Amino acid sequence: MRTGIFIVSAAPDQRVNLQAVATYAANLPAVETVTLLDPGARIDPVTMAETIRRDRLERVVLAGDSPGHLKPVFTRAMALAEGDPDEIRLASFREHGGVVDNPTERAKSIVACAVYGVPFPLAAVPGNTPIHPATLVIGGGVAGIQAALEIADAGKKVYLVERSGTIGGHMAMFDKTFPTLDCAACILTPKMVSVGQHQDITLHTYAEVSHVSGQPGAYRVRIRKKARRVNESACVVCHACSEVCPVRVSSEFDSGISERKAIYMPFPQAVPNAYLIDEASCVYVASGGQKCGACAKKCPKNCIDLDQADQTIELEVGQIVLATGYDVLDARKIQRYGYGTLPNVLTALEFERLTNASGPTGGRIVTQTKKYNKRKQRDEWVFDPDGTPPRRVAIIHCVGSRDSNYNAYCSRVCCMYSLKFAHLVKEKIPGVECHEFYIDMRAFGKGYEEFAERIKAEGTFVVRGRTASVTEHEGQLIVKGEDIVHDRIIDFPVDMVLLAVGLVPAAGARELAGLFGLFLEEEGWFHELNYNGDPTDTERGGIFVAGACQAPKDIPDTVAQASAVAAGVLKNISRGRGLGSRSELGLSEIEAHAKKIVSL
Amino acid sequence: MAIRVNPKLIEEIEKYGAEDVTKCYHCGNCSAVCPHSREPFVFPRKSMRNLQMGLEDKLKGSLEPWLCYYCGQCSEQCPRDAEPGETMMSLRRWLTSVYDFTGISQTFYRSWKAELFTILVVTVLTGIGFFLYGFSRGDIRTYGGPTAFLPSSTIHVFDWIMGGVLAALLAINAGRMWWFMVGRQKGLRIPFFAYLRKAYLLPLHFFTQKRYAMCERKGPWLVHLALMLSYFAMLVLIMFFLHEMQAGPRIDWRFHAVGYVASLGLIGATLYALHGRWRKRQTQYRHSHESDWIFLVLLLAVAVTGVLQHVFHRAGWDVAANVTYVVHLMGVVPMLVLEVPFSKWAHMVYRPLAMYFADLLVLARADKQNDASAELARKAGVA
Repeated sequence: MRTGIFIVSAAPDQRVNLQAVATYAANLPAVETVTLLDPGARIDPVTMAETIRRDRLERVVLAGDSPGHLKPVFTRAMALAEGDPDEIRLASFREHGGVVDNPTERAKSIVACAVYGVPFPLAAVPGNTPIHPATLVIGGGVAGIQAALEIADAGKKVYLVERSGTIGGHMAMFDKTFPTLDCAACILTPKMVSVGQHQDITLHTYAEVSHVSGQPGAYRVRIRKKARRVNESACVVCHACSEVCPVRVSSEFDSGISERKAIYMPFPQAVPNAYLIDEASCVYVASGGQKCGACAKKCPKNCIDLDQADQTIELEVGQIVLATGYDVLDARKIQRYGYGTLPNVLTALEFERLTNASGPTGGRIVTQTKKYNKRKQRDEWVFDPDGTPPRRVAIIHCVGSRDSNYNAYCSRVCCMYSLKFAHLVKEKIPGVECHEFYIDMRAFGKGYEEFAERIKAEGTFVVRGRTASVTEHEGQLIVKGEDIVHDRIIDFPVDMVLLAVGLVPAAGARELAGLFGLFLEEEGWFHELNYNGDPTDTERGGIFVAGACQAPKDIPDTVAQASAVAAGVLKNISRGRGLGSRSELGLSEIEAHAKKIVSL
Repeated sequence: MAIRVNPKLIEEIEKYGAEDVTKCYHCGNCSAVCPHSREPFVFPRKSMRNLQMGLEDKLKGSLEPWLCYYCGQCSEQCPRDAEPGETMMSLRRWLTSVYDFTGISQTFYRSWKAELFTILVVTVLTGIGFFLYGFSRGDIRTYGGPTAFLPSSTIHVFDWIMGGVLAALLAINAGRMWWFMVGRQKGLRIPFFAYLRKAYLLPLHFFTQKRYAMCERKGPWLVHLALMLSYFAMLVLIMFFLHEMQAGPRIDWRFHAVGYVASLGLIGATLYALHGRWRKRQTQYRHSHESDWIFLVLLLAVAVTGVLQHVFHRAGWDVAANVTYVVHLMGVVPMLVLEVPFSKWAHMVYRPLAMYFADLLVLARADKQNDASAELARKAGVA
């Protein structure tokens, strides 16, 4: 079949060497012409039809980063040239591995498959490997919990490794979920307890993966378990230790708006339900055992071992699920919003804790009050349960998202959680005014648009136009923005500003990708095998991604993806075999495979 | 009334330097961050919108571009890299060509080759003209006195004729600007008295550029003020005191002190701007249209040759002084004849005018509103 290849260059920083691809493609059988198209070139069907007719082309391959937009033009050209319009084949580098180790070699194999007329995923199939039946899940957020439970409920062994002292992740911090306004803890904590009690789940909290070896189906993973210094099974959570602990540091679980001791429970429903010691702030640890040690003396169960050392555990697993989640963008980076310098400018997570009944104010939404801290001998802004509630709240959308200066992508969840915040504010404070400053309201899920309409009907003002700055004038926060619909510049006094900060890949995702030989996308999210077709698989055999570590997503999508991962894991276990790593397939292998398929 | 949409407007404006107008997604960050953007003149987002929608006629009468001083904050914070500041700059270039009834401005902005070629032609013609004139009746070896190569009295007459022509051209274009912004608006009444009452705004904005000082960074305003005042001082000296400036060899400090400071100001500010455009560190200098380079290079050349002919004359090298003088004029004439009415210089008229019109429009709209509410009150009283 006489084939013509048209290569489109897209981004100026092409990582694929298009010239090399063109040279390679010219030597493929039946290839008549290889043309490099200019990215800005206007391509019209009539002249293309002439080219096709002149070269008597029977098949056209469009190759490039994502050349799909040219398909309609070439289909029309092929029809005009009285050829078969179905013979326009796409070779999309982005779809089939834009971020692999050697993108040029991968691009060549993608073009080869298109020339042979074989779908790339069909030709690029790595060989089967036997599968060890145990599975490792990394990350104990809702994604990790869901995947672990689904696999373990099928009777298969799961190891769940979590970096912090408890499972639960971000969802445990939330007050309500959107759009149903369900209590987040009521959904999550039963699942957490199930994980803790499950006979087929071994939970390693306060632990991190330090080394990985082996191959798909038989991985050896080394886990470094940090010294908890409290015996998990003996601790009865009597709080005697934390009462005597002299150290106060800001609480991670309360997103920094309250304090905890050096020996602490992350939150009352933590799993495992036991105390742990934060070695970074413990006086005993810092002084090398010279000072303090009060908690160990006070513990009635003698379950505190202040001299416990880190442990290393070796695990043998067949498959690995990455569910490491996300972090929120550091709002300090965007100085014009005054976060970190102005009191009462809060990030989303801080507000979640403020409005949460288990938070420092018992769920009362109040502005910060200045209090004298005797220990530090200075005034501090704190959330006091008896503080004054705000009368006017501004919620700023897209903080650090859809912004080429920070993150170009949409973080997907912020519009919806901002609307939820508006509801919570209005529900809890009578007569409060709530204003949302947004660019586009992205209410994309089931019941989301209805939720947005409901919030508007409740009297929340939605202002189209993103705020440019938050400043303080005589103790009053001033929000400045453009109201696009009403053609006004707004200088708006408010008592509290909530920043809808975007999501960023979790700290350590890059190191983890290095450990596992996985690929990260430009923004740092894990790269999936095929965004549409295999959204939970990766280029490495037996390694899956679930939840927000792949891309920002909300709770329903995260849970669905985690269950999908479990299905993939269980499929391989029940077959006893799984696919190897696509990233290890060479060009010649893929080409040979494609040839074989054509000859069948 | 039907609204005519020009779907190719963005392509048109791109010839004037704009880039990435289509990227804008209207978050309004730029309008909120701009210190000049106040109701009823909210920009640059609205101008971006009008461009995207192809509302050519509306943009023709918009005075917002003239209220922008391109401090660059909008472009720096723009989440889409849509360069709103550069768009406003391009709109100013485009508006200059819209006001210009001759169509020369349009040709210059769209093709730097045409601009450069015309400048070269005028330069050569000027050179030939002055040399012929000088040799016909003067002596190239004398700079001053009755046998001077280019006597100050002749140049003086020439200056005033040129000034008159330029003023006429600018006045016509300013009239067109008034028509697009104010005159053609139906139902808008601005009392003649208001024009008089607000007339003080013209010299105020012309001499102080006080709105420029509203930008967060004051440096660019100071540089611009220095350049403008130097230029103006030079203009006054040449138009009124050319004889005193050229008399020699004694230096008349009453005039020359001003002249020296002004020369320093001109050269310093021009070098600053050239350096800035070269380095591209500051936002307002990141993009340069060809006309910006032509303008700066021409200005620098004129200032330097002006200083040189003065130095040569005082040093007693009259031949060199005369030759440099002609070269100086070969820069001055195209700069004034072509750049003032048809290119970048024209903004010295349009900017103060726009601010003057802005005040008048606000006044007229307030009156209209008062009338409307009075009408309502009257009706309510009747009812």
